[in-house]
Amino acid sequence: MFSQLLGSYLLRREAITTEQLTAALREMDRAHIRLGTLAIHKGYMIASEVDEVCFMQTREDKRFGEIAVERGYLTDEQVHDLLSSQTPDYLLLCQCLVDTGALSNSDLENYILEYQQENELCDMDLDDEQSEKIRQLIERFFLVAEIPVSDYSVMYMELLFNNLIRFIGDDFTPLTPIPCTEYPTNYCVSQSLHGRINCVSRIDIDENSAVHFASRLAREDFTEFDEYVQASLEDFMNLHNGLFIVNMSNEKSVELTLEPPTVETEDVLQLAPASFVIPIAYPFGTMHLIVSLFGDKQYHG
Amino acid sequence: MDLSSKKILICDDSILARKQLKDIISEHFKGIGVCEARNGTEAVEVYKEQRPDLVLLDIVMPQMDGNTAVSAIREFDPEASIIIVSSVGTQVQLRKALEAGAADFIQKPVETAQITKVILKHLS
Repeated sequence: MFSQLLGSYLLRREAITTEQLTAALREMDRAHIRLGTLAIHKGYMIASEVDEVCFMQTREDKRFGEIAVERGYLTDEQVHDLLSSQTPDYLLLCQCLVDTGALSNSDLENYILEYQQENELCDMDLDDEQSEKIRQLIERFFLVAEIPVSDYSVMYMELLFNNLIRFIGDDFTPLTPIPCTEYPTNYCVSQSLHGRINCVSRIDIDENSAVHFASRLAREDFTEFDEYVQASLEDFMNLHNGLFIVNMSNEKSVELTLEPPTVETEDVLQLAPASFVIPIAYPFGTMHLIVSLFGDKQYHG
Repeated sequence: MDLSSKKILICDDSILARKQLKDIISEHFKGIGVCEARNGTEAVEVYKEQRPDLVLLDIVMPQMDGNTAVSAIREFDPEASIIIVSSVGTQVQLRKALEAGAADFIQKPVETAQITKVILKHLS
């Protein structure tokens, strides 16, 4: 989750472009985290030392750790520690941004530090405190766009990001949410939740991206925008909202009902006042989540 | 175990969800018959026509929801074996489904091992 929100952070800082992010996300599929990236993250080495060791590797048939120890940049204990430590997911994205030329090692060092400081992240956050940190990150994600948030909307978005990771893949970045009252559609499915919280959520996507989305969700190779591909969007919406209702019932004792998903037929949607759009960029294309909240004071936070 | 004389009704408004269940059934239970319905109303009609041995039924569907369909099918055949397969697995929904006469409840996303185990339990 930190990786997805780091992508959004870097775009917001204008450190990278959407195209550079997409290229790095594609690279992540084949990449493995390197010792140099970990060493910068741990504060054992600085960027120029990592660059120097990488350069030496092109001349000597030795591992990164060996050269770094020889040059006195790392101790044997530190190499052992790096090899055995847990890797935060956002580091691999940073490394891929360096590999694809979007960031230098020096930029990487600075942005990792800033991202960690801004979000108060440390190694401990990889386990016990991760959930709370993610909630804070999502709150900040909305506040940047000056969109009011509540516990419920943070729960909704946290679950959505987790469901995207679980069912579609972790190589996405949510872009900054945009308040919206009118939305021109491509292929758009919609589903309503009723009860103490009232909400309409929609997914809008172009046909080509939908084929890739469906292939990942169903783990099949779809090649055309057919009825199975169309159904996959409704299935994802239904699955996500169903799981949200289960969480609301279990964690908040709030019972909600779910309407069957429908396909929007309007070319331009007229949205309720408290609506926002979150573009979610995958390497295969960008889908848009459109959420309209109404009818509950608490929900508006 | 030979279940080739048995028939399962799959009812879900999603053509993809029906296909995924059909694929699991045909892979693990060779020769078993499958019939389909797209909503609760169709499920009741198909049940009356084909008298399947087991029904796999979604809850959130247009026209007639799953729980209403369970009641209607059980009114027609009090012995009908019906399994709810739904993403809305709250305690309230579970209670409603069981009160309506469902025999079991599977939370979506469906795991192959889970669905095959339930089918074996109710058809053997």
